[in-house]
Amino acid sequence: MAKMKNESNLQVTFSKRRSGLFKKASELNTLCGADIAVIVFSPGGKVYSFGHPNVEIVLNRFKNINQPFPNPNNNMRLSEVRSHTPIQQMNDFLTQLMNDLEKAKKKNEEIKKKRKNSKRSENWWEDPVEELDLAHAQEFKVELENLKKVVTDEASKFFQGFPHPNFCVGSSSGAPFRDGGYINPNLDQSEQRRMFNVNAYYNPNMYRPNYQLLYGNNSYAGGCVPDQYNLNFMLAFNQYQNQNQNLNPGFKEEGISENERHQDGHSPHF
Amino acid sequence: MVFIENESARKSTYKKRKRGILKKAKELATLCGVPVGVIIDSPYDSSMEVWPSRVDMDDVVSQWQRLPEMDRTKKMLNQKTYLEQRITKGTEALNKLNKENKELEMKEIMFDCLSGKIAPSSIDRNDLVGCSNVIDQYLRILKRRMEILTKNDGASSSSAHAAATTSADMPIVEMGSSSTAFCDMIRQQQMQNNLNHAVMDLDLD
Repeated sequence: MAKMKNESNLQVTFSKRRSGLFKKASELNTLCGADIAVIVFSPGGKVYSFGHPNVEIVLNRFKNINQPFPNPNNNMRLSEVRSHTPIQQMNDFLTQLMNDLEKAKKKNEEIKKKRKNSKRSENWWEDPVEELDLAHAQEFKVELENLKKVVTDEASKFFQGFPHPNFCVGSSSGAPFRDGGYINPNLDQSEQRRMFNVNAYYNPNMYRPNYQLLYGNNSYAGGCVPDQYNLNFMLAFNQYQNQNQNLNPGFKEEGISENERHQDGHSPHF
Repeated sequence: MVFIENESARKSTYKKRKRGILKKAKELATLCGVPVGVIIDSPYDSSMEVWPSRVDMDDVVSQWQRLPEMDRTKKMLNQKTYLEQRITKGTEALNKLNKENKELEMKEIMFDCLSGKIAPSSIDRNDLVGCSNVIDQYLRILKRRMEILTKNDGASSSSAHAAATTSADMPIVEMGSSSTAFCDMIRQQQMQNNLNHAVMDLDLD
């Protein structure tokens, strides 16, 4: 094994392997309770470090050779409550998150494969838009507008005040959710709240990382809306600890039980 | 990833994983030609495990201490901050994927409506808004495409000719017709095409 020759490959390799090394260090500590410090210098001279309890504590122990590992008996006692520490809970959260990420990746592949296989040549509108000529594009536009009208009519049966020009901000919009939702001031308070929450549930902006905490979709571990993750996970996390349930009464929409919202079928666990 | 309660299982895992970490550290240092130092302190080893060696570790530590504190701490992580970082990145990735999956699903629904496979009234109400958004997205792309095409139309006569011939082949669709009429129209067009081909064959005779 020798130093890599290609500069950019080296950078990529460094990044990946450093990340992997830290992961292993984290796991060693989680699984076996070992204290650890890893210091890595980048090709550019920057330093990355990981340590438990932290890098400095372990380095100090290294410098003072005579310091023994903290009383192993303490460790034994602590092992009973390890499962309830925030770190362990974060690990559990992360494990579930990684599982869901895997599932989402598989689903993504399946959908794309299905589209590839089901494509039929006579459905010219399914071809990429860039391949359409003007006449077809015009045709398509008319049909899409018709379809949009039908879909909108269907939606208005369920959602009062829908559609409104601002109701559903397109995914290209950078507006955070709250600005994208329009509340008809003429609706009474409870209707407004209901519509607002409906908007929260369906607005594609919910997928954005800066998703607002407001709508209670933050108890991932509590299983409210599994495919929406709140980036402010520490809050979610505290809820998981406190076992706070049903922060969001707005989700009690007619006819949809908690379980129905779980696309992968697992029921909320607290 | 849970603390291993069973003591002997824990010890054996420790030994294996310690070996693995040191191997990975060595590979990283060699492949990338960078200084790496690892210190492992556990109840299973009588003394601290240090890699590459105490002497080399001393070098790494001095190099480390020579850096200004801000540089040292900028990328310094402990379990808590490390896990936070991974959760953040994982959440972003998942949100992005979920969004893409949803859009792809909505696109399928849209296509199925257009081809008459399903009726818009049968769309799950949870999907109606998403579907509407995807239609909007598509309309935006279409408008852009049409702008490009009409610009080019002025530039070259051949594309205008192509557009003219194709529009002659397409029956005119009335505004306000339902989506099922779209696929009916397509079927009509296909039948017409088949007829045309039949006629052409006759002509060749």
